[in-house]
Amino acid sequence: MKNRIKVERAEYDMTQADLAKKIGVSRQSINAIEKGKFVPSAILALKISRLFKKSVEEIFILEDED
Amino acid sequence: MKTNYLLPHKYKNLGWVLFIVGLVIGSIVAFKGYEIKILNINVLSIYDEGGFLGGEEGFFNIIENSIFDELGALLIIIGGLLVGFTKEKVEDEFIYKLRNDSLVWAIIFNYIVLAFAVIFVYDFTFFHVLVFNMFTPLLFFVFRFNFLKFKNRAYEE
Repeated sequence: MKNRIKVERAEYDMTQADLAKKIGVSRQSINAIEKGKFVPSAILALKISRLFKKSVEEIFILEDED
Repeated sequence: MKTNYLLPHKYKNLGWVLFIVGLVIGSIVAFKGYEIKILNINVLSIYDEGGFLGGEEGFFNIIENSIFDELGALLIIIGGLLVGFTKEKVEDEFIYKLRNDSLVWAIIFNYIVLAFAVIFVYDFTFFHVLVFNMFTPLLFFVFRFNFLKFKNRAYEE
């Protein structure tokens, strides 16, 4: 699964730490999600999407191997 | 992230102290060949089958015993559990996954090492393997968990 969190963050001019604080996770988690090393739960994906005012599919994209 | 078995973060440092003191005591005991005779007190033995260590056979005997090794073992167990099972500063699903992955890794690694020891270590030396193996699952778990946390500490990109 790919995601566009880094792009969205840039648009909102947010650091990883800002985003982490806003949705109540550690900065390590955001870093791991952005790098594709950790697939967040549905709850976390929904929280991130709501923060960026987009649908989940606009931020998280399924890949062929998923 | 809600979990029902994790203790508050404030106990983690206490856990490290107990764990390290326990490991030091344990190393001393193992290095001295389990023959340390300090802190001798009377203890309750629920069952002793008698035999090569000179114990008297029977149930519920009061016996004299050096509790130095017991102390070390309990410190390692309590300290290790505290280190492994207290919340992180920010406890979320990622750290939860790291903890679970570390547990799985520790169990598999521990039994691979034990299997090698079963095949290649014999006689009284195997007794050391048994003693170490009481603590290695917890030890491997704590090492692995902290290694993964260290590896995943975030750098802003």
